[in-house]
Amino acid sequence: MFSKFETWYRDRHDYAKSWKEKTGGKVFGCFCSYVPEEILVAADILPVRVLGNHQPQDVTEPHLFGMFCPFCRDVLAQGLKGRYEYLDGITIAQSCIHLRQAYNSWENHVPSSFTYYLPHPMSVQTPAAVPYLKKELDNFREAVEKFIGKELTTADLDRGIQVLNENRAAMHELYSYRKGSNPQVTGLEAMWVTVSSMWIDKEEHTAELKRVLAELDSRTVERETGARLMFVGSENDDTDFIRMVESVGATVVVDDHCTGTRYFWNETPIMDDRMEALSKRYVERPACPAKDHVARTRFPHILQLARDFDAQGVILIQQKFCDPHEADMVPLRSYLEENGLPCLFLEFDVTVPLGPFRIRTEAFLEMIGEEDLF
Amino acid sequence: MAKEYWRWKEYNWRDEKRDWRDGKVITGGVDVGSVSSQAVIMVDGEIYAFSNMRTGSNSPDSAVNAMNWALEETGISMDDFDFIVGTGYGRVNVPYADKAITEIACHARGGNYMYGPTVRTILDMGGQDCKAILCDERGKVTNFLMNDKCAAGTGRGMEVFADLLNVSIEEVGDLSLDVEEEPPPVSSTCVVFAKSEASQLLRDGWSRSRVLAAYCSAMAHRVFSLLERVGVQKDFAITGGIAKNTGVVSRLEKELGLTALQPRHDTQIAGALGAALFATTLVEKGKGRKKSQTAVTG
Repeated sequence: MFSKFETWYRDRHDYAKSWKEKTGGKVFGCFCSYVPEEILVAADILPVRVLGNHQPQDVTEPHLFGMFCPFCRDVLAQGLKGRYEYLDGITIAQSCIHLRQAYNSWENHVPSSFTYYLPHPMSVQTPAAVPYLKKELDNFREAVEKFIGKELTTADLDRGIQVLNENRAAMHELYSYRKGSNPQVTGLEAMWVTVSSMWIDKEEHTAELKRVLAELDSRTVERETGARLMFVGSENDDTDFIRMVESVGATVVVDDHCTGTRYFWNETPIMDDRMEALSKRYVERPACPAKDHVARTRFPHILQLARDFDAQGVILIQQKFCDPHEADMVPLRSYLEENGLPCLFLEFDVTVPLGPFRIRTEAFLEMIGEEDLF
Repeated sequence: MAKEYWRWKEYNWRDEKRDWRDGKVITGGVDVGSVSSQAVIMVDGEIYAFSNMRTGSNSPDSAVNAMNWALEETGISMDDFDFIVGTGYGRVNVPYADKAITEIACHARGGNYMYGPTVRTILDMGGQDCKAILCDERGKVTNFLMNDKCAAGTGRGMEVFADLLNVSIEEVGDLSLDVEEEPPPVSSTCVVFAKSEASQLLRDGWSRSRVLAAYCSAMAHRVFSLLERVGVQKDFAITGGIAKNTGVVSRLEKELGLTALQPRHDTQIAGALGAALFATTLVEKGKGRKKSQTAVTG
């Protein structure tokens, strides 16, 4: 049922190249989920999220500090090794310094006809955040217009917003199938869908997703649900890990990742001023911990997600050296445990040690369940 | 053949005062660890026999050998078991086990039996990993932490030091305490680096006691930091082979400001013991092998 998404997940570069060949369009690499893809879609540009490929590499050492996260390292390696050579441009919205350094090195060492660093407010909770970002989005829009050689009309922006919102609505519907007592969608399948949505033409992705959604009601689920888990933390697109977790007596029912719900959770509101609407959307979306201050709005949001999806426990996933998430982990763990959600903390690297993580996961499942043993 | 100083005592034991035929529930637990394997046979929830031996290169064979040795001269056959649980890193490769449970859960359960229901923190110091486990009065895990990424400060490292210094592994702990003044710990607990450092210390004229004291001290400090992260709660107990090493245990107790409980059994069998206890509980709850077979066949 989800085979197309699995193929898209696996053969991401093949898809982008064939899309380019078929449409003659341009493809931009996006370094963070805060990049306003609506503007790119409005300009008929295909936005693709730049992610790593989870393989050891030896090219980023001169570019990044040793204590920068493995994700930014893996991302930069893809550029230096030429795996995104089909890109016509790259852009980043400011979120964390690690990924920004990966972007800067890429910009310096991988030829590209368009590069754009989009300042994005770190203090999204101040009243100035929306007007500030609106101005920055205006600048970004102008740069994109200059690149494509024409101005974007309101109708263009409406199309971009509508295409993204439709995809987000479909993603919400997909996630709703994970709420039931016997979820009709596994965490692995949801990951294929969510992560692939970051580089597949959104309209094509939405159409395929709607086809799947139409079949889900009649889907017979034969696997045991086991313990219902939530994943929370840094960037995570590791299908090997989630497959392992779901093979030892658990189902991942929801997540808080920038490659998961944080990416699609809120829609762009309908407003007369489209650029202000976009600004509100990206300021008010579920926050990355890098931006979640002074108040920690993520904590109650994560708890609400866990409750809405009836999660019994949480696996806290942190990319090694990911400072924003690392700063949140201790208070977040206390907060979730005080609210009755046991947590397992795991530190991710470019590759994940599946054997040791399996022991930890199984022991965690025994800890939150297996009352029969006592 | 050169003496293998690392070789610890492999043995089996059975309760000669009891006749297993008088019992109702026969269960087994087998722990195939990275360095050692144990099998425990329980009769009506009490230890009847066990074995403790080195793990071979093949997990299923090690599981079979450990169980065969525990069964030796008991008269029990594999068909007599009501349920068997496998644990340890080779838990999924125990050919005769009815269920696999992690060694984390099994050490908590075995530690609870071995040390009593007051134990809340169990440190399992195994052959190639180390686990700090918090548990409740039933021996159910409430939190745990494992050493990450490398096996520094575990049993295999101690074996390497025993060989390097030509000191029997069983004498390492006491000898490490035979120093007038505690030396600074070796700077690395990585087995390979620590071994290089120890060689240099020997060349510098350090006594074997002093080198062992430096290594035991480093190992104690490493596991102390693991315990600190999980948060030690009283009572505190240690399982696994290193629990027998007085040099590590006494230094760890000093750092913690706590005295570890004294075990009633060989600390190396804690995992297999916990597995057998789980097997017993499952049988008591009607989930044993024989009862389910009866249910199936009517």
